[in-house]
Amino acid sequence: MRVWDMRLLQDDLPAEKRRSEHLYDYADSEENRRRVNQHFDKLQRGLIIGLIIGFLLPNALLAAYFHYQFTHTLRSSAILNLQTVADNQKNSLDLYLRERIGNLYNLLLSPGFALAPTKAAMNDYLRILTNFHDGFIDVGLINPKGVQIGYAGASPELLGKDYSDTPWLQQLLKEDKHHIVSDSYLGSRQNAEFTMAVRHTFAGKVYVLRATLDPDKLYMLLRSTVHGGSVESALVNANGQYQVVDPKTGNATDRGPFVPPLTQSVAIHEQDIDETSTLIAYTWLKEAPWALLVTQPLSVAQSGMHQARLILTVSLISISLLFCIIIFFTIRKLTNDARRMADKGRQLQEMLAHASKLASIGELAAGVAHEINNPLAIIMATSGVIRDMFNPAFDLDNSTEALYKELTVIDNAATRAKGITKKLQEMGKTRMPQTEPCEINTQVETVVNRLKKVEFKGKAIEVELALSPDLPPILAECERLRQVFNNILVNAADAIQDKGVITITTGIQDGMVAITIADTGRGIPQKNLERIFHPFFTTKGGSLGTGLGLSIAASIVKHLGGVIKVNSVVGKGSTFTILLPTNFYCPLH
Amino acid sequence: MDNAIRVLIVDDEDDFRETIVKRLNARKLQAEGANSGIKALEVLKQKEFDVMVLDVKMPEMDGIETLRHVKKMSPEVEVIMLTGHASVEFGLKGMQLGAFDYIMKPAPINELLDTIGQAYNKKRGTA
Repeated sequence: MRVWDMRLLQDDLPAEKRRSEHLYDYADSEENRRRVNQHFDKLQRGLIIGLIIGFLLPNALLAAYFHYQFTHTLRSSAILNLQTVADNQKNSLDLYLRERIGNLYNLLLSPGFALAPTKAAMNDYLRILTNFHDGFIDVGLINPKGVQIGYAGASPELLGKDYSDTPWLQQLLKEDKHHIVSDSYLGSRQNAEFTMAVRHTFAGKVYVLRATLDPDKLYMLLRSTVHGGSVESALVNANGQYQVVDPKTGNATDRGPFVPPLTQSVAIHEQDIDETSTLIAYTWLKEAPWALLVTQPLSVAQSGMHQARLILTVSLISISLLFCIIIFFTIRKLTNDARRMADKGRQLQEMLAHASKLASIGELAAGVAHEINNPLAIIMATSGVIRDMFNPAFDLDNSTEALYKELTVIDNAATRAKGITKKLQEMGKTRMPQTEPCEINTQVETVVNRLKKVEFKGKAIEVELALSPDLPPILAECERLRQVFNNILVNAADAIQDKGVITITTGIQDGMVAITIADTGRGIPQKNLERIFHPFFTTKGGSLGTGLGLSIAASIVKHLGGVIKVNSVVGKGSTFTILLPTNFYCPLH
Repeated sequence: MDNAIRVLIVDDEDDFRETIVKRLNARKLQAEGANSGIKALEVLKQKEFDVMVLDVKMPEMDGIETLRHVKKMSPEVEVIMLTGHASVEFGLKGMQLGAFDYIMKPAPINELLDTIGQAYNKKRGTA
């Protein structure tokens, strides 16, 4: 690793090689730090997201599974509960109806029952019935012709009414039944009521004892056997019409939610009522042509689950949150540790870079010593020759001309040594920048004109200028800039054997001022390309080059925050591109 | 002059090389110069030499590389490496590769003469 920035050669290095080479350089170090930080941020993010997903996903799946199972179980138990309620209610209703039928039978078959009763006897009979049960509204006796010959109750006009056309009487007589319960209907006082009738044959003549009952009593019965408020019971007839119903749910003449099919046992039906999913347990009564419907909204049936679900969800979320926090902090701690390690590694690397910089300084010193020693050796050898001249033993030409010749050699060597030290001073001088806005084009022209008078003489070098007119000035020491151009141009001229072209282009490239110096010289071999900016690297040989020109140019450009890029093809020529950041903003622009 | 020591000075510094050649010749040595490693090898093909004084730092073919070739071509030639003050390791490297000794620039003529004499004696002893 060298102090001299390899990035100056970046056009000729593959991108990944350039990336991997770490140089001790403030900007580079910042860039590196940013990259490492980015890497760790990404790692941390990835780990956290991965772990959280890896933890949350199975949890969520498990929760969903239990939720499903729980719902299913709750539904089954709700159905079972509803079926039990329906069964109980059915038995109670049947029992109730059987008892009322029994009341009527007992009355009809009681000894002394008058087949041609008087009004007072009928009133007695009604009183007997209401004594048994207060659901009886009225009572009537129907003779074999179907005419009501005795009546007691609130509608005396029914006495003498012909019932032979009524469906329940026809059914009772035709189907050879002993008793019947009719559908409920609106009675003469506009109240729902239903009729119950029993028959008996007295001496070959069929007499029917009928009574009207209040369905409210059935409703009360249903209400009394219901456990829990959310369960509602109703009775519907074969057409689906309500017989007994909670006044809140519907009227006696409304149709029920559905017409249940005929079954023996309790069955379950699920249906949407008023847009709520509802479970209906249904069964047919034995004593009346009615079906019992026991309904419960599904949401109520599963209300136990809502709480369980709430607890499950809340606990799941809080546990997940807890774990997320733990994961987050653990990973952050781990990545921070790793980051610290990387930071330490980077510091170590910087120290290494610094050490190598020191080593480079050693190398530089060695180079300087060597370069100075060469002219010193010449001076010593030449002074030795002069001494030899005055030694008669050696028999040498000690004429004034010969002496002058040797002294010139000494002068040249001393001048060379002085040149080296001067250039070193320039390179190492802590600059007190006397900066001013420098017009790049003017500097280029000045350098070219100066070189044309001296270095370019003796060769057929054509200089082509393609200068962009509106370049922003660069705030710098103009002499330094000229030195950069001068050093590169001198090399370009040296690279050209006898005749060639040097093209100087100025312009803006990537927001930077770009000065491109292209020559048609012999080009730089790949192996040298990496070393051209090293101090004392030269291919010129002997006293022709110091090997400092390009390294001085590079250090000046670097000082201005710019870079020098090199492209070279052996045999075709080299192109040096100097990129300088614009650092001067003229208020007029 | 028949048994004069034949010395080849290889250095790209013209002034230095020529001066040394002149001084060695004045001291009755048979010295010649070559301005590069390649040139030295060419000269070595045509003429025999006893001792070669080889500068380490030269463009194109440096002293170490030249030494390798010389030791392959004419192993009998004793080589004295001429090194800069800071490149002692090249001198040592040269000795590993078969050089007789190394001298640090700038060296007084007497030291150079002594070393050349020793190298010559060694060569004669082995020959």
